[in-house]
Amino acid sequence: MTDISPEMWAKVPAAEKVTPVAPPAPTYGQEVRRRLWANKPAVVSIVFIILLVIAAFFGPYLSPHTYYKQDLKLANIPPFFETYAVTDGAGETTRFFLNASNFNLYEVDAEGNMLGLLRGGRKDMIKKSQPYEFGDQTLTLDYSKLPVRLLLEDGSEVRPSGWSWNKTYLFGTDQLGRDILVRQLYGAQISLTVAFVATLVNFFIGVFYGGIAGYMGGKVDAVMMRFVEIISTIPLTLYVVLLMVVFDSGLLSIIVAIGSVFWVDMARIVRGQILSLKSQDYVAAARTMGASPARILTRHLLPNSIGPIIVTLTMLIPSAIFIESFMSFIGLGVTPPLASWGSLTSEAVETLRAYPHQLFFPAAAISLTMFAFNFLGDGLRDALDPRVGR
Amino acid sequence: MFTYILNRLGMMLVTLWAIVTLTFFLMHAVPGGPFVSERMLAPEIAAALNAKYGLNLPIWEQYLNYLGRILTFDLGPSFKYPGVSINSMIAAGLPVTLQTGLLAVICVVALGVPLGVIAALNRNRWPDTTVMFIATLGVAIPSYVIATVSIYVFALRLGWVPTFGLDDWRGYFLPVFALSGFWISFVSRLTRSSLLETLEQDFMTTARAKGLRKGQILFKHGLRNSLLPVVTVLGPVVANLITGSFVIEQIFALPGIGRQFVLSITNRDYTAIMGITIFYAAILMVMILIVDLLYVWLDPRIKLTKAAA
Repeated sequence: MTDISPEMWAKVPAAEKVTPVAPPAPTYGQEVRRRLWANKPAVVSIVFIILLVIAAFFGPYLSPHTYYKQDLKLANIPPFFETYAVTDGAGETTRFFLNASNFNLYEVDAEGNMLGLLRGGRKDMIKKSQPYEFGDQTLTLDYSKLPVRLLLEDGSEVRPSGWSWNKTYLFGTDQLGRDILVRQLYGAQISLTVAFVATLVNFFIGVFYGGIAGYMGGKVDAVMMRFVEIISTIPLTLYVVLLMVVFDSGLLSIIVAIGSVFWVDMARIVRGQILSLKSQDYVAAARTMGASPARILTRHLLPNSIGPIIVTLTMLIPSAIFIESFMSFIGLGVTPPLASWGSLTSEAVETLRAYPHQLFFPAAAISLTMFAFNFLGDGLRDALDPRVGR
Repeated sequence: MFTYILNRLGMMLVTLWAIVTLTFFLMHAVPGGPFVSERMLAPEIAAALNAKYGLNLPIWEQYLNYLGRILTFDLGPSFKYPGVSINSMIAAGLPVTLQTGLLAVICVVALGVPLGVIAALNRNRWPDTTVMFIATLGVAIPSYVIATVSIYVFALRLGWVPTFGLDDWRGYFLPVFALSGFWISFVSRLTRSSLLETLEQDFMTTARAKGLRKGQILFKHGLRNSLLPVVTVLGPVVANLITGSFVIEQIFALPGIGRQFVLSITNRDYTAIMGITIFYAAILMVMILIVDLLYVWLDPRIKLTKAAA
């Protein structure tokens, strides 16, 4: 027989006696969070948006370049290039790359930092060639037929030694020699500012306008909704265009336009929600207990329609960003030298044939941001839907 | 039905009046008149010009004059191009804009709906994932990016289509594609989710149990019921396609109204801006009204008079 020590017979403290039958049911908030975390694209989107915000507002301070500084000698530099190396008689090696679209040679170091434009000798316009001297070596740039070739004195062609990233201008430069990366970060700032304004008006005007219209009902509702109808008949682009005549700055008019009329969709959604919610029992209970309409609206009705509100918001933010970039694209948005994703894209179109990289980066930036907001919106919609899961 | 249309038309007039008033006073809030330029005009000439265009009158009188002209469908003369009326500017640009816009609407319906149906019928299999992947791309990529990239690929690299203009029938491909890309994606997503919801309804089971043919089940019971949300968005789709043409006409150098409009803004041609704005608004409202009527025709359960109340 095993001997049982006396303390094992002691009473178990009350707290330990409770054997949980089931874990506590997760609250709605916890459930939503769990479902959102399980949605990988949505999580990636959140991370992307956070990184974008950080990069947009702190990135420009880390860069040695500014968005307005021009350097025409270093215009249209690609983000990566094939380097050539030439060793002269004294044993000194010069590394450079050839910009095949403007026939210039740029000196770089072994890591890929830009050192500057190489000055060549007189261009021979008839033979379409230009000599470059490296110590006692002379290289001839022959652009009489494409692709451009670099020839040694004996007529043999110099071969590139390999691809290298541009360490000075990570995204290359535009046609005025401005750093594309920094310009793009400023563009991100503008897009995010527009998104922020859109969020603010949707939250403060749209939600309350729709809430009041829905809760009051009757004549008030009819008048308020007529007003919304009038506003929403004119597309936002037209407002922006009209305001453009009043304010000279395109960016300001976009922000004012979004600030003044961008809440109508939200107002409609909220009104619909409130209309269906206000006949619920808990609203009647609150009213019986003497709660004021303001309290019922802010404490009972709006929190219960938070799902559709957030989903609409994540759908409206990208459309605000869209509008800004559209307007900037057709030249009605930001004023130069400030850059926005739209204006960067439209500038890149001019040099599309020679330098497609200038189009690639801003186009990718806006598309990725749109992806992120769309995935986040889809994820939130699924996560907030009380019918799914559980 | 008749009173409903009458009601709606009345609403439209009120809205148009609001737009006219808004644009009129916005334009007049702008510092500097239409004849202020770097080239100083002699005061007599300026006064004569102002008198000719009625700009010397008090502002309320100008407003009433403008309203009166609008009522007779006269949008007035252009301030920048002497002798050109806004009506003729619109008449010149309208065919181009309507052609590309209508082609785009046809593309949206003819491609978006079938793609959505294919995706819904093959739920979670490869056709579904492919269509939804493309649709997500289409929703996320702005039309100007689609336009420029497709110019680069199809016009510059492959040389299949011209880079700009509509002289050639092939010139329509890229503008229509760029214009409708977003909405094809949008409509196919909408059709898919709506059809999936309809497929789970009881009447679908009944139809299957009755032993109806597959095609009949899908088209008569499934599709007809799930197309309603699609028709609802068609009004805004038309509106967006028409205003979306700003960008597309600019990129492809099409001589449509959108391009005209953008030009008149950069030129500060006030009457043109006002006139085209009003014209746009009127067209959009008519389109939305037509879509609403179409909606009733598709779904007899909806009563217009109730919807209006």
